[in-house]
Amino acid sequence: MDAAYAILALPLLGTAILLFGGRRTGDPASGWIATAMAVGSFVATVVVWASLLGHSAASRTVHKGLFTWIPVGSLHVSFGLQLDPLSLTWALFSSGVGSLITLYSIGYMKGDSSYGRFFFYMNLFLFSMLVLVLADSYLFSFVGWEGVGYCSYGLIGFWFERNSAAVAAKKAFVTNRIGDFGFMIALFMMFGHFHSFNYSTVLAPLASGRLTLAGATATGLALMLFLGAVGKSAQIPLYMWLPDAMEGPTPVSALIHAATMVTAGVYLVARSAPILHFSPSAQWVVASIGAATALLAATIACGQDDIKRVLAYSTISQLGYMFLGEGSGDYGAGIFHTVMHAFFKALLFLGAGAVIHALHDEQDMKKMGGLWKYLPVSSWTFLAGFLALSAIPPFDGFWSKDAILAAAWHKSPALWAVGVVTAALTAYYMSRQFVLVFGGKARWVDRAAEHGAAGHEAGGHAGGRPHEAPPVMTVPLVILAVGSTVGWLMNAPFAGLNFLERWLAPVFPARIAPSFAVATGTKWAIGTVATAFAILGLVAGLSAWRRTAERPALEPAVLAHAWYIDETVSAAASGPLARLASGVSFGVDAGLVDGLVNGVGRLAAQSGRQLRRFQTGYVRNYALGIGIGAAAILAYLATRMGG
Amino acid sequence: MIQSVLFAGVGHLAQSGSGCLGPNGTSITGLCTSDNSLHMPVAYRSILPMLVLFIGALVLLLVSALLSKRSRPGLYPVLSTAVGLAALVASVWEWYDVGNRGVSTIGGQIFYDRFSVFFGVVVSVTVVLASLVSDSYLRREGLDGVEAYALILLAGTGAVLMAEAAGLIMLFLGLEIMSIALYVMAAYHRRRTESGEAGFKYFILGSFSSAIFLYGVALTYGATGSTRFQDIAGYLARNTLVHDGVLLAGMALLIVGLGFKVAAVPFHFWTPDVYQGSPTPFTGYMAALAKAAGFAGLLRTLTGALSSQQANWRPVIWLIAVLTLLIGSVMAIAQRDLKRMMAYSSISQAGYVLVGLQAGSAAGTAGSLFYLFTYAFVIVGTFAVLGLIQGPGEARNDLGAIRGLARRRPGLAMAMLVFLLAQAGVPLTSGFLAKFYVIEASVQRGQYPLAIIAMLAAAIAAFFYLRIALLMYAGEGEAAGPAPALEPAGGGAEAAGEAAGEAFVADGALTAGLQPVPSLDGATATLTWEPPPEERIAIPPAVAATLAICVVFTIAAGVSSPIIDFARHATAMI
Amino acid sequence: MTAALLAAATGSGAHLAHASAWAVFGVGAALILTGAFGVVLLRNPVHSALMLVITLIGVALEFIDESADFLAAVQIIVYAGAIVILFLFVIMFLAVDRREPAAPEPTRAQRPLAVLLGLVALAELLILSRVQHWSSGAHHVAGSLKGGEDVQKLGESIFTRYLLPFEMTAALLVIAVVAAVVLSRRHGRVAAEMSPAEQEEATLR
Repeated sequence: MDAAYAILALPLLGTAILLFGGRRTGDPASGWIATAMAVGSFVATVVVWASLLGHSAASRTVHKGLFTWIPVGSLHVSFGLQLDPLSLTWALFSSGVGSLITLYSIGYMKGDSSYGRFFFYMNLFLFSMLVLVLADSYLFSFVGWEGVGYCSYGLIGFWFERNSAAVAAKKAFVTNRIGDFGFMIALFMMFGHFHSFNYSTVLAPLASGRLTLAGATATGLALMLFLGAVGKSAQIPLYMWLPDAMEGPTPVSALIHAATMVTAGVYLVARSAPILHFSPSAQWVVASIGAATALLAATIACGQDDIKRVLAYSTISQLGYMFLGEGSGDYGAGIFHTVMHAFFKALLFLGAGAVIHALHDEQDMKKMGGLWKYLPVSSWTFLAGFLALSAIPPFDGFWSKDAILAAAWHKSPALWAVGVVTAALTAYYMSRQFVLVFGGKARWVDRAAEHGAAGHEAGGHAGGRPHEAPPVMTVPLVILAVGSTVGWLMNAPFAGLNFLERWLAPVFPARIAPSFAVATGTKWAIGTVATAFAILGLVAGLSAWRRTAERPALEPAVLAHAWYIDETVSAAASGPLARLASGVSFGVDAGLVDGLVNGVGRLAAQSGRQLRRFQTGYVRNYALGIGIGAAAILAYLATRMGG
Repeated sequence: MIQSVLFAGVGHLAQSGSGCLGPNGTSITGLCTSDNSLHMPVAYRSILPMLVLFIGALVLLLVSALLSKRSRPGLYPVLSTAVGLAALVASVWEWYDVGNRGVSTIGGQIFYDRFSVFFGVVVSVTVVLASLVSDSYLRREGLDGVEAYALILLAGTGAVLMAEAAGLIMLFLGLEIMSIALYVMAAYHRRRTESGEAGFKYFILGSFSSAIFLYGVALTYGATGSTRFQDIAGYLARNTLVHDGVLLAGMALLIVGLGFKVAAVPFHFWTPDVYQGSPTPFTGYMAALAKAAGFAGLLRTLTGALSSQQANWRPVIWLIAVLTLLIGSVMAIAQRDLKRMMAYSSISQAGYVLVGLQAGSAAGTAGSLFYLFTYAFVIVGTFAVLGLIQGPGEARNDLGAIRGLARRRPGLAMAMLVFLLAQAGVPLTSGFLAKFYVIEASVQRGQYPLAIIAMLAAAIAAFFYLRIALLMYAGEGEAAGPAPALEPAGGGAEAAGEAAGEAFVADGALTAGLQPVPSLDGATATLTWEPPPEERIAIPPAVAATLAICVVFTIAAGVSSPIIDFARHATAMI
Repeated sequence: MTAALLAAATGSGAHLAHASAWAVFGVGAALILTGAFGVVLLRNPVHSALMLVITLIGVALEFIDESADFLAAVQIIVYAGAIVILFLFVIMFLAVDRREPAAPEPTRAQRPLAVLLGLVALAELLILSRVQHWSSGAHHVAGSLKGGEDVQKLGESIFTRYLLPFEMTAALLVIAVVAAVVLSRRHGRVAAEMSPAEQEEATLR
């Protein structure tokens, strides 16, 4: 079980090596080091998982102390690890997918001037993510929470010389601060109520029924935690940073902004299930926000031309599904979808990365097309991811989405309806993407022809053709494609294959997550309807986009502009911020911070103008100051003199 | 009036001898005497670190006299480091030797308790760090020689003595030994007028405050009939003073004298001028050492000897703490000179230690001790970094000098970042826990306003720490990059500087000394200087090692508990 | 003379002893204050140094009043005799034995404030110390003195109880030596030893 320490230690070691030696190890050694550490961490996680399987279901929660942080007085804070089914689920897919994506990055980032820095961030991210999920207290999780936020921020602005990247990083930073603020308030409330941050102290008594929580407290706590989740997982109203986060390198989008970090909010809500249990209204909020986000983001995805932005909105939409499942009380379904999503969305992003790579940084789907024959591996694997995301049976997405829709039906048919419509939209935008990228005519050739031979050469198509990515990139694609196709077997709803559900059962006892039975007939009906809608969307997409890439009627500007929400918010709320952003001097939000510093600086200048009169440089003045101090103390004590 | 207490001294020896049993009830050999004879056994073990440092200084001077002139300039820092390490070893040995209770020894002049030993450790560590970082600076400035290291060791001697002092006389001696060595160190840079000026100012004002302190000693003696802490405490415990005016006056003056050493407001005026003028590594040493020793003296005097007077001194310290916190933070924002900025920062840091002192409880003392120990690493490290980036002749101490450091020397910037975060009190650094412990202790005593002010000061101070950090990570980089949409390098930060600029320039210009001449060249340099594009800062191995130690310690102490346990055990004073 | 006076006082009753002790104290105090004011107020450094001698003699008188004859003698020989002479040497050697130029005081409030502050602090100290008994503890660190005992007492306390403080003053002396070496070769490095860049820098300063 001491492998538990290795889970964290290996990525940390990699971080340290790359921090101090990243420049020397260089390309590609840095990448291999980072990959080795990630794989090692994954292996350690598997070892821990296997040993936990050896325990009986009830005793699958193991604590590992790390260190005592604050041992004084009323506050005793120690940091440790809590290894239980929930944390290990996240650790397994985070380190597993993380390993594959790090491997893929070796090829993708080749030749980048900041190669070492990239892998430093990748390992640091993995470490922080694992801290987040393995921590045994909200406070320690918050450390990881901030850590992944920092990495996300550093990686969005990885190419900070691009203005858009710097702005996107700033946007992610500010938006996430709002969410973190909620998390922090939740921490304060929690400490006020429980005098502890530890899961074992806060949650275990609630889960076991030894303690109950007043509705108002539970609602406040749950909503503040959910606010944190909303920020991190890009839900309404804090979702706008995620599409912009696509400014980062594509593997980052796959790892952080699709598979792992953005699911931290889902983890937080699942972890806080015992608190949510005491607040039905908070559960409704979670489910409604989830459903609304799923629908909104899916509509926007239909109108996007950027290959990564489609996937980004899709991610927001799928995260909405996860929250819908959790809010409906079926945490298992939400988590199932999270894991499946990690497979197929990472796959789709990496596939998109391969396409972008092949087309030399072209991201506009309108300028792609006909890549099927040039990129066989990418195409086939992308197809698997596309079908999984579109919830076409028997691919992964069908099973997990079906579970969520069943839960939503149980909660409210209205939520279910939103979910089903979203499913149709999902199939539509994905099929649109697939045919625009891989099917139809090769529009990138047109472009080259327009620009003439010189342009063609400048395009860098040395062989004149897009070529398949190197094996270091395609191997992860194949593995993830296999996962997207058969991964659902870990939780199939028949033949006793529901391993994941049974594995998670101890974390969500019936007391806090009452199981509900949906009649088999209803289940079949739900599955059939959902599949019908998905196929409808699929067919619509294929038929609409098979022949042409220009159908303005199907791409109203309102969708391409994401309902103008971003613009409206920017104009209304971020006006001053935008002005400050023009003064941004680095990827960091120097404008904002300097603005604040400016204000304080002016204040200090004013008080300083008074104070500096005493800082004259004259020894005699200084001595006078000492004398005044002495006289003042004497005067005060003279008033306290007895007798 | 004349009392017939014959041989009070020897009498006291006998007295302390009776209560001088080891932890297991056994008499500690060599520590006590049980007869009234004039035989005065000296318990060398109780002053071991101090002896090591002092004798080390003498050996250093002797070696330099025996060796041919400047033949082995590299030898002195090595020797000095070795002496510091030996003192550290001696202190650690003492820690296990002294046990929990501690004794008063050597004629009742020395307390041999964990509190003393704690400061033995702190001072030894500071000596080692200072010896390591000074070498390259002194060579760069052409100042290398044995004297610098002799002074480092002698100042350390005085500092340990202050912590060990069992009475006001010993405390005063330690204070003078440390201070005079520090005065000379401040004036050590021969060719910088600022340095001589710093030494002179420090000397004059230091002597002024020493005189006040001595007056306080005299009045305290007059009020209680002894200069020994145990006797003072005992006298005050046995007698209820009807006329406590003399005692209060003495206490006030003791606070002033020691408050000067720790740079508490309003006794802080010397700090920016002296920190700015002193050779940079010495500034770090000075900040760490004088604060540690000064607070050791304050803790011994106030929470030790005068603990019965808490009701009287706690309000005084309360006010001093508030002023120190706020004025330190506010003034630091208004600085453009890095060393001056760190000087104000160190003033504000002293405010937190005062918060711990003000609590007047074991928790508060433990917090203060933790603060002092961890701060030593942070401040020595900070000034080591400043010493590297300022360039030969301390040419550039302005904020611009640190711009873009992350591009030029990422490792150095990372170390500086850790120190800045620690001073700002960011979690997972030692600075956070240090602030947390003192504020927690204050809250335990119901001092909510003080706790809130301390947090407020931390928030104010965070701005200028953050600003330095941003400057390091901003810089030339993006100006060179293909990003015309962006403003030129560090535009935002420059604007921030301008906003408070008037105050900075005035403050900077008025530092020129007894007869202040506006240092125009300094001011214009501040405004016009731009970093040369490809400047390579050399990092000597010794400094790199020191920085690594400081960084590792700062983070380790910020995430684990051994240091606070150490500090809590050290609160057991006699 | 004083010893005889004291002996006479002892002989002719406590009242007279009390009066004469007060007289000695008063004369000593007056000398101390006169000297102190003189040191601060006189503009010529030589005169200031000489006024310091008066203060030191006053202190010696007070020692005699406390029967510490040996200390009185040492005070006069070491301080008045040696140290002040050293001061005078330095003053004359450095040729600063002229009137200090009356520099314009830039901070107008400085002087009145300083005077006021001195008076306030004095008043506060007086208020705080208006007590009959200073303490009931020991008034003498080394025990009381009877005529002729003081050398022995001094020796005993220096070599027993105050051994460590006594010895640690050695550290002060070492620092003084080092300080003298450091500070006196302030401009020690001549141009020949400097690199051209340093020379230029030195010239620009």
